[in-house]
Amino acid sequence: MNEPTFLILTALAGESRHGYAVIEDVEQMTGGRVRLRAGTLYAALDRLRGEGLIEVDREEVVQSRLRRYYRLTGAGEQSLQTETDRLRAQATIAEGRLRARRTNFGGATA
Amino acid sequence: MTEIRYRRLLALYPRDFRQEYGDEMLGVLMADPRPGVVQTLDIVRGAILAHLRASVTGQSQAARIVQIFGAMLLLGFSLRRLTGVVIMMATATADGYTPHVPAADWVRPVVWGVALAGAVLGWRVLGAGAATIGLTAEILVPFQSYADTPATVLYAYWLIVAAAVVLIAGLAGDDAGVLWPRGWWLVAGAAAALAVVVARAPFAFFAFGYIGSADLLTIGVTVSLLLVALLMQGRDLRRRLLCWAAPIVVSVPLVRYGFIGFIEFNMRNPDSTRLLNPLHWAVLVIVPAAAFLGAAMLTNRTAAAR
Repeated sequence: MNEPTFLILTALAGESRHGYAVIEDVEQMTGGRVRLRAGTLYAALDRLRGEGLIEVDREEVVQSRLRRYYRLTGAGEQSLQTETDRLRAQATIAEGRLRARRTNFGGATA
Repeated sequence: MTEIRYRRLLALYPRDFRQEYGDEMLGVLMADPRPGVVQTLDIVRGAILAHLRASVTGQSQAARIVQIFGAMLLLGFSLRRLTGVVIMMATATADGYTPHVPAADWVRPVVWGVALAGAVLGWRVLGAGAATIGLTAEILVPFQSYADTPATVLYAYWLIVAAAVVLIAGLAGDDAGVLWPRGWWLVAGAAAALAVVVARAPFAFFAFGYIGSADLLTIGVTVSLLLVALLMQGRDLRRRLLCWAAPIVVSVPLVRYGFIGFIEFNMRNPDSTRLLNPLHWAVLVIVPAAAFLGAAMLTNRTAAAR
């Protein structure tokens, strides 16, 4: 799973959101490091809908323009959980090795 | 950037995608305070991805059905070949003569049976692995007599193309569980009927004038069954199945009309047999691939026009 996909699923894990709300939430989650653009976002949303990981929650019309809210499905929740476990396991390994490295070098950075 | 300019950029997307997300995307783009070249490039990139995705979507399901139907037809042929040999053995033994049974005649039904099982069960490795062995066998058997009678390769050409199509479909197809496609029993019936024709008149496809009305009737029934099975599929799926079938369909007239002079020359001059030249080989390889691409372009254009 690539980072934008992970972040979009994470944004929808909290509550159902429309496209622009997903962009804002991702930006907030990453401290401004990642700010998705419309082309990237909707390519991902289309793919995730096709894979059954997200679905349309509801639609509303705001200023005569369609606003569609997306939510995580059960399969999406499972997929996000799996990816989260994987990332956590990798982070734990990296953290352990960095700690050992600092111990070996007596706290000095190489 | 103005709404009109965004609308022009969104026109780059496939129509279905635009209908589904165009209005939403426009709202997001208008709300986004980052207009500029990067935004434009992101939309163009998204449009290209959407086109690629649209061209691939549904192809894997069609490929799986091609794999199943193709393996079914090839299994029918190979079973009939084996049955013919077994009948010959049974009748010949009474005269004190036991005919030689080529290993390929035993191997091919087993291999295509395994390929069919792999295709139906959705076990991609099994299906593609068996199809690879099957294709190898379909190539090796006619090539054993290529030096003496080069035409045997041409007679088996459509079978080789069919085996190659089944292999490629097996690699491209989905592997999502067990699948019995709509109308599979019609294709099974067509395989059985066509096998009868092949057993009675091996070169029937290349010499329609020399076979009886019963065989022509069988061919008619076979083609009808296949057409009904095709019509039972959804419109989009049918379009894709036709693309996959094009290389096999084109292989018959290619040999019948493109190589008739070559075949007749060798029949009339058995002492100075000509082998296929590099141009012949190139045609035999390129034409099926071109048929697939041509059919794909034609059906895409037809779909776009709807």
